[in-house]
Amino acid sequence: MRKTYEYPKSRAAFERACKVIPSGIYGHQGPAEGCYVPIEAYPLYSSKAQGTYLWDLDGNHFIDYMCAYGPNVLGYNDPEVDEAAARQRAISDCTTLPNPIMIDFADLLVETVACADWAFFAKNGNDVTTGAIMAARAHTHRKKIVFFKGYYHGVSPWTQKVDYPGVLEEDVANSLYVPWNDYDALAQVFEDNKNQIAAIIAQPYMHGNFMDNELPAEGFWQKVRKLCDDTGTVLIIDDVRAGFRMDIAGSDHYFGFQADMICFCKALANGYNVSALCGKEFMKNAVSSLTFTGSYWMSAVPFAAGIACIQKMKRLNCPQLLIDQGQKLKDGLIAAARKYDFDLHVSGIPSLFYLRLADDPTFVLHQEWIAECVKRGVFFTCHHNHFINAALTDADIAETIEIADEAFMVVRDRHQ
Amino acid sequence: MDEKTLAYINLYAVLGSLQKLCALDDEARRLIDGVDVSVGIAVKGGPEATLVFKDGKCTLAEGTENCTIKLPFSSPKKFNGMIDGTVTPFPSKGFTKIGFLLKTFTKLTDILTGYLRPAEGALDDPRFFEVSTTLMFYLIVAAIAQVGNVDKIGRFSASNTVDGNVKLAIEGGPSAYVKVENHHLTAVLEEPEEFMSYMVFGDMHIARDLFDGNVNAIASVGAGKIRIGGMILQVDNVNRMLDRVALYLS
Repeated sequence: MRKTYEYPKSRAAFERACKVIPSGIYGHQGPAEGCYVPIEAYPLYSSKAQGTYLWDLDGNHFIDYMCAYGPNVLGYNDPEVDEAAARQRAISDCTTLPNPIMIDFADLLVETVACADWAFFAKNGNDVTTGAIMAARAHTHRKKIVFFKGYYHGVSPWTQKVDYPGVLEEDVANSLYVPWNDYDALAQVFEDNKNQIAAIIAQPYMHGNFMDNELPAEGFWQKVRKLCDDTGTVLIIDDVRAGFRMDIAGSDHYFGFQADMICFCKALANGYNVSALCGKEFMKNAVSSLTFTGSYWMSAVPFAAGIACIQKMKRLNCPQLLIDQGQKLKDGLIAAARKYDFDLHVSGIPSLFYLRLADDPTFVLHQEWIAECVKRGVFFTCHHNHFINAALTDADIAETIEIADEAFMVVRDRHQ
Repeated sequence: MDEKTLAYINLYAVLGSLQKLCALDDEARRLIDGVDVSVGIAVKGGPEATLVFKDGKCTLAEGTENCTIKLPFSSPKKFNGMIDGTVTPFPSKGFTKIGFLLKTFTKLTDILTGYLRPAEGALDDPRFFEVSTTLMFYLIVAAIAQVGNVDKIGRFSASNTVDGNVKLAIEGGPSAYVKVENHHLTAVLEEPEEFMSYMVFGDMHIARDLFDGNVNAIASVGAGKIRIGGMILQVDNVNRMLDRVALYLS
């Protein structure tokens, strides 16, 4: 049996943080988001990272399957990306006039992404999903937006729901919600809101939290594409989470259709802060018309990192590599679960797999198993999809399965 | 703030707290000893329920058909006015029991108010602190159900809440649950036999600090002072309803 981790330094840091930072760690990485249950099983702060590994403040070592919630696609501190960024930093970064490397990056995205005729840059996923919605409204002169239930498109008020703190009814008055994969319901919403719907915004498949991830039904996207074409509605794919982990040309390309606009962030620059909105020619004027920018949106260093990242992802055939590694892990975890008579569901595309122990509808067993993995050095979270990065080796996968096996054994012993 | 939702909270959560008050407070228990009276409250366009005082206990029953005293209100606002002390109720039934209303019932509600709005320094008494915090806890749990069933925003939260029991408890103190069935919420003020999710406050002092707004709930979860687990989506939605409860009880 492995020695399990403890986190006194993380706890002390969190206590210090709570005095000067609202809720200590806020947002998706915060310990109150429901992904770290029970809280004692998890470290809260890291001291360093390299490749696929993370070390916490107490010196505990983890194989990290959250990958900074997505940005770590090639491995932390990838030398090629870091070198490109360092080269650009020596030249210029945040300056009065943008550096032309911005054009190089846009050129590369147009060449790489199937639906892209142009690229617009910002910092976070939320920036580009918001830009896409504004552009869709500017283009169509319509107000309403269709979302698929279980969605996540960022944190601006328009992305949230009426019962979230700080959100007004007016902020979400034009939001329409449809069950994922339910084309008939979608068509009905269009029928009920004729000439009022500006856009559909959707992730390429349902990778919502707290639920098994669900791929699109056969022909679903093609029907949605036609519906948008027939009604003059803009189809926006939010590829912030899945982008470049399924298909280097965009996740719409993976599923055989083309979005009108597609949003990227996370894996775009291996941790350097840049996001991109790409789209078709007919949306270019609408995007140009927006009053939409930020102090750091044209910083050159992340552009250099993004170029190096995409070039390396192409060279490695990264999406397929990640899918293959994810599949090996998936098979190993399911086999380990079976040894102890657990029914582990691994859903979604293997490069961003989602885990759920289906033996217990309350999730308590699942939370216990994940906690036992974390305390032994495999950083999973309870109810979020995970991420594979290119630095993950077969040996790492083998060690992960070994730890998962031991964790299953501990939970089975506890619940004979 | 919606008057109708407030009326439901005032009847089922605030006056509903008399049930636990009569079990927890010696003076309240003495006041209802040997009493056999039921006070029906009928709010037009709002809630309708009866507080039954019998066998040394207080219970809350749906409807007013069998009450011995009936207090009708022409609107939720009028009923809320009675709770605020700005409206005087007139019974439509049970004039012979008016003495209970004027003396015992008023005394009970005064005791309840003392616990729910403690005078400065009152919480220094450990027993008072325990009863006050326990009553606050039950009141909040009962109010969650009303917000989820009646308040417009609360109903949206309830519409996203999956079926099953959400356990709420204070370690070493009271326990209760919100039963969710087809997006309808029922507060049950006793320990659940089984539950889908839980939110447990570490001790009475943590619970009190949270109720009084003296500590941050999210930081407390991070620090392990509030424990959440199980079907987290339920807890998430209950938390949104809790936010609305604070609006109505403030």
